[in-house]
Amino acid sequence: MDTRKIVRLSMLLSLSIVLSLIEGMIPIFSNVIPGVKLGLANIVIVFVLYLYSFKEAIYVSIARVLLVGLLRTGLFSIVFFFSLSGALLSIIFMYLFKKMNFSIIGVSVIGSICHSIGQVLMAILFLNNINVIYYLPYLLLLSIPTGIIVGISSKEVLKHYNKVKA
Amino acid sequence: MNKKDLLLILVILFVCIIMFLLFSNKSSDYAYVYYENKVIKKIDLNIDNEYTVSGYNGDVVIEVLNNKIRVKEEKSNNNICSNMGFVSSSLEPIICLPNKIVIKIVEDYKIDTVIR
Amino acid sequence: MKKIIVLFILLLITGCSNKDYNQFNMFFMDTYINIKIYDLKFEDKDKVYNEIYDIYSVYDALCDRYTDYIGVNNVYYLNNVLEDGQSVVIDDRLAEVIAYGLDAYYLTSGKVNIAMGNVLDLWKKYRDSGEGIPSEEEFKNLKSISIFDIILNDNVYTKYNNVKLDLGSYAKGYVTELVADKLEEMGYYSYLINSGGNVKVGNHYSDDKYKIGIENPNEDYLVYKIVSANNTSVVTSGGYKRYYIYDDVKYHHIIDPVTLYPSNFSLGVSVITENSAYADILSTYLFLLPIEEGIYFVNSNDLVEALWYGIDDKVYLSEGYDKYE
Repeated sequence: MDTRKIVRLSMLLSLSIVLSLIEGMIPIFSNVIPGVKLGLANIVIVFVLYLYSFKEAIYVSIARVLLVGLLRTGLFSIVFFFSLSGALLSIIFMYLFKKMNFSIIGVSVIGSICHSIGQVLMAILFLNNINVIYYLPYLLLLSIPTGIIVGISSKEVLKHYNKVKA
Repeated sequence: MNKKDLLLILVILFVCIIMFLLFSNKSSDYAYVYYENKVIKKIDLNIDNEYTVSGYNGDVVIEVLNNKIRVKEEKSNNNICSNMGFVSSSLEPIICLPNKIVIKIVEDYKIDTVIR
Repeated sequence: MKKIIVLFILLLITGCSNKDYNQFNMFFMDTYINIKIYDLKFEDKDKVYNEIYDIYSVYDALCDRYTDYIGVNNVYYLNNVLEDGQSVVIDDRLAEVIAYGLDAYYLTSGKVNIAMGNVLDLWKKYRDSGEGIPSEEEFKNLKSISIFDIILNDNVYTKYNNVKLDLGSYAKGYVTELVADKLEEMGYYSYLINSGGNVKVGNHYSDDKYKIGIENPNEDYLVYKIVSANNTSVVTSGGYKRYYIYDDVKYHHIIDPVTLYPSNFSLGVSVITENSAYADILSTYLFLLPIEEGIYFVNSNDLVEALWYGIDDKVYLSEGYDKYE
């Protein structure tokens, strides 16, 4: 990996961490449905996926979860594993959907969906209790607009980046 | 945005509608309190009262008032589930992850009352 | 304009919080009582509440075995203050309740016996302490449990041989029936009363039948049968709510007048019939009979259906039960 790429990815990684942390401080919805996030950090992940490829995106994803875990939620805590499962599921499906020629919006939406599904799945396994599934429809519905926002944002960033690059 | 994306969104919406239809919402007399997957307490929603159960991190205080139920106190970092407030339908279970407690209003399949 | 909006919002809020005005909760006769009146008019709610409250509180006082209400000749008084051979005038209402109980003795071949106070006290003592069971000696020295030691002439009560009244086997059903009558008298026919193991329902609130769940005696939160009915009473007798365990044996609170021990014919029996007092008496009766005899009794009675939860974990139904499925 050339130096420029490493530097660029590190900066993007930091950006995604910061976005994660900031997002964690906004108490939107967390009173009603625990686990709802805007998914701002995903803008970076999607960007990396389109700028580079699956490999880089998954590195940044995992690194982000690890570092946010260290900084905030506690490494190997419950939340850490939830984030990790959401992130992994998310990047895998985003890559698949990208290959299947969904637009960047569609890819972001499925990324959002996967985060939600990943979290619910992990909660069910953790508690050994199926009742968490009652939250799934609400989370899925919310994932659509948040996914679209992430998609549009990533698209704009990419457009801008390409303009600047050129 | 292309046709595939639209299809994806429609599929998601469809799945959500199916889930909402399957998750029936009848008012009920009871809530079950689970620790992990075991029911550790059955609470009658007709009786205003407070209950204390043992969660993973410590005691969890549950309150019933006017046929609604909530977690009043819990030992956790974010207090997510006590901030949830009162819940009165079986569509909204209270999930306290750190304490491993789930409070679920049970759909008693159209039962008007239960002889205890 | 702003004031109107504020007023409107306030009205909305108060309106919303009054959604549950047609449901009453009370505690009498040692039981939580829940009453839902589906066609209750908002302006009547206080009047109706008070009428129901009055009925329950009066009968609760009259039938109370453990509390002395000064100036009231209630069961406590009759059992503990009144002396053998002495007569006393009692409230008409209490006299009626006792008379009903005396009739029940003959109806149930002596199984439902309101004179069992002394033996019930004996078991209660051990149940409260949780340790031990009555000894042979204590059974031998038991004071009277004979129904014939209770004399009632109109509303004059006399007792002999220290016999003690216990109206617990049917008092709740009796009062529930009175409350239902009162509701109908006030023009309300669509109601559901649940007091402990006693349920009485009137007309349905829409075009269906009430679904009354019967709890599995073995598992607190499971309903093992749903009775589908209108304008009827469902009463359950069982030993799974009030009992203690000593030496690995479960001793519950319904005592067989013959063996003087808690009965062991089934885990629970539920009786379905229109009158609540009758249902209460029969449920106690059937709980003190072998299931087969009980089924025979119910099958020969047109007005009653019943279901049993057997010790073998099987469910037994009377012949005509399927109209309640």
